[in-house]
Amino acid sequence: MTESESSAAAPPAESPTAEKNSIGVLLRGTRALSPDVSIFAVARLMLADEHSGLLSLPIVRDGRPIGSISRYELMRVFLTPYGRDLYGRRPIETLANRNAVVLAADTPIEEAARLIAERIPSPITEDFILIDTYGHYLGTGVVLDVLRSMDKRLAERGHELERAYARAKSSQLQLVQTEKMASLGQMVAGLVHEINTPLAYVRNNVELTRSALNDAADLVSAYESATKMLFDDSADVPDDQESRMDRLSQLRVTMDSTALADTAALLDDTVHGIEQISTLVGDLKDFSRLDQAGTERADINQLVDSALRIVQHVMRKRHIEIVRHVGEVPLIECAPAQINQVLLNLLSNAAQAIDHDHGRIAVRTQTLGPRVMVVVEDNGKGIAEADLARIFDPFFTTKAIGQGTGLGLAITHQIVQQHKGVIRATSKPGIGTRFMLALPLEAIRKGT
Amino acid sequence: MTGLPVVAFVDDEERILRSLRMLFRGKAEVLATTSGGELVEWTRTRRIHVVVSDQRMPGMTGVHVLREVARHSPSTMRILLTGYADLEAVTASVNEGEVYRFVEKPWNGPNLIATVLDAARVAEREFSVPLATTPVSSSSLASAAVNALVLDSAGTVLKAVQEILPETVNLVSAANIEEALERLTVGDYAVIVAVLASADDDIVDAIKQLKRIRPATLVIAVSPLRDSRLAIGLINEGQIFRFLLAPPGRELMRRSLLSALERHAQLRSAPPLLDRHVVHAPTERSDSLSGRLMHYWRRLRDVGSR
Repeated sequence: MTESESSAAAPPAESPTAEKNSIGVLLRGTRALSPDVSIFAVARLMLADEHSGLLSLPIVRDGRPIGSISRYELMRVFLTPYGRDLYGRRPIETLANRNAVVLAADTPIEEAARLIAERIPSPITEDFILIDTYGHYLGTGVVLDVLRSMDKRLAERGHELERAYARAKSSQLQLVQTEKMASLGQMVAGLVHEINTPLAYVRNNVELTRSALNDAADLVSAYESATKMLFDDSADVPDDQESRMDRLSQLRVTMDSTALADTAALLDDTVHGIEQISTLVGDLKDFSRLDQAGTERADINQLVDSALRIVQHVMRKRHIEIVRHVGEVPLIECAPAQINQVLLNLLSNAAQAIDHDHGRIAVRTQTLGPRVMVVVEDNGKGIAEADLARIFDPFFTTKAIGQGTGLGLAITHQIVQQHKGVIRATSKPGIGTRFMLALPLEAIRKGT
Repeated sequence: MTGLPVVAFVDDEERILRSLRMLFRGKAEVLATTSGGELVEWTRTRRIHVVVSDQRMPGMTGVHVLREVARHSPSTMRILLTGYADLEAVTASVNEGEVYRFVEKPWNGPNLIATVLDAARVAEREFSVPLATTPVSSSSLASAAVNALVLDSAGTVLKAVQEILPETVNLVSAANIEEALERLTVGDYAVIVAVLASADDDIVDAIKQLKRIRPATLVIAVSPLRDSRLAIGLINEGQIFRFLLAPPGRELMRRSLLSALERHAQLRSAPPLLDRHVVHAPTERSDSLSGRLMHYWRRLRDVGSR
């Protein structure tokens, strides 16, 4: 009589246990019992060191599992009065649990865990048996191993989620930047025009002034030689005296006091033009600044004016009248670049909402209790009631594909929240839309 | 020209006007206004040689101003002076305003003076020609035996042109630039419809060169590229008649072709009108045409302008 049937300790080559996520990774090469081994012999085997971690042993006939025998079951037999003498010589098959949990080694661990939880009775008194795809016995698995493995996998999931969250957060930052650049892109055409106009006359005026200076220099030297002729008696009267005097009177025609006054006026314009270019470049710099955290005390009226300067050409091109009514407001602690983005977004949305020739956008600021209010109101096409609730949702847009990112107002909302402020919109389709922005004063410094 | 030419400027920025007035002092009689409407009114009441208009202005756009000027005083040469050349404005300036030149701000002083005075000379010649103001009737169009050439490797534009042109127009097609130049050496063409492939291909260079040899041939460029640089180059150096974005709408193509045939008939009846179609040597790559095309040009030059 063979005491046990040996089984392959190592899984066969074609075994799917190599699959990282299958229950096969937890395989233990437990030696299976032959069905005809005596109960007495099995009890002795149970005590062997190699089986110390096991709750049950598998019983296999012709390479296929037929059931298992648990420590618990054996104990029950041996605790029965005369149990050992009455049952000890019977084959183990008679005590076998025919409903042992048998799992294919390629079962995914989650699936296996679910089956085990369903089918292994409580308290846990059994291990489970693993088979290959043909139903042949491979080894056993221990419930505790499954628990440990699940725990490890959950921890990994957690890390994965953390990484995904970090990735999402950084891509959100990128989206914020993209949206900023997209709205800036729409402004660029107009800004280039706005800058090229003063640049054009500044350049031309400088060139004209340079040529006026040449004329003036000629005139001075002509005067000098004329003076020399008149007052220096020792000097001979040159033969070309007449032509020199002609030259002098010609120069006096081109370079008279009117010409000098005109040139001075050109220089005044030039200074004005350079200031205009500086302001535009400054506005642009404010807007494109990337420092997210840079907070400072800022005058909301100045931010409004800066945003208005950036959008003014779009408004002018589309004949939109701007009504600016700024009240006295204290400085507020904020990230000016971000508030700039909010204002620009509200203004360009307002401009885009206007689909007729008598457009009008009103911008008002005022102090209301502990808050600074900014209202941007247009007489455009308005927002449908169903859409109004969703305008701050990311990626919600009513514009055509490629026309809007659907992020403008979502980002606006986020920025306002970061400032502990509130933004609300009311709209009447066909009449217009009003956005109200309220920012808390926080650490106010009186007297602007 | 008796006395100085009259040049009218419109720009919504007073300082631009002041600066231009100074630039042209002693070179032209300068009129300046911030109102497009006022400028159009001037061209109706007095002889103005050249109009120089800004594009982006409140009220009327530059293209709108130039279109009105063209309607009231077709001999007044029109120049668009703009701070930002968006494609929309560029195409409209040539297709609707039929601009003489497209100049960008900030301008180069001596170049702007030269361009404006050239335009003034052309206008002076045109004012002296009794212009056929009545449009050439379709019957006279039909009677004129003229040739049209379509350069289109894909053939879709060719098909559209075939359907539009009256049968009396002899339509010839070319699949590539060599074929087109070969055709040009043996025949005279009223209109060329050229489908561009890229901004720096031989067709673009060829259009610019061709205008110097055959100023009476009107070119309609069809471009798949939304490239304002390309359009400006073709206007200023190629004096193209129309710039259409591919695929061109049928109605737009029809109007463009008929206008071109009409203009061609006018040009043949009054040769001084050809002046405005004269172009300056391309500012760059003037002799960059690939060698393989050079012999065509030599032959074309030998044949000369017909």
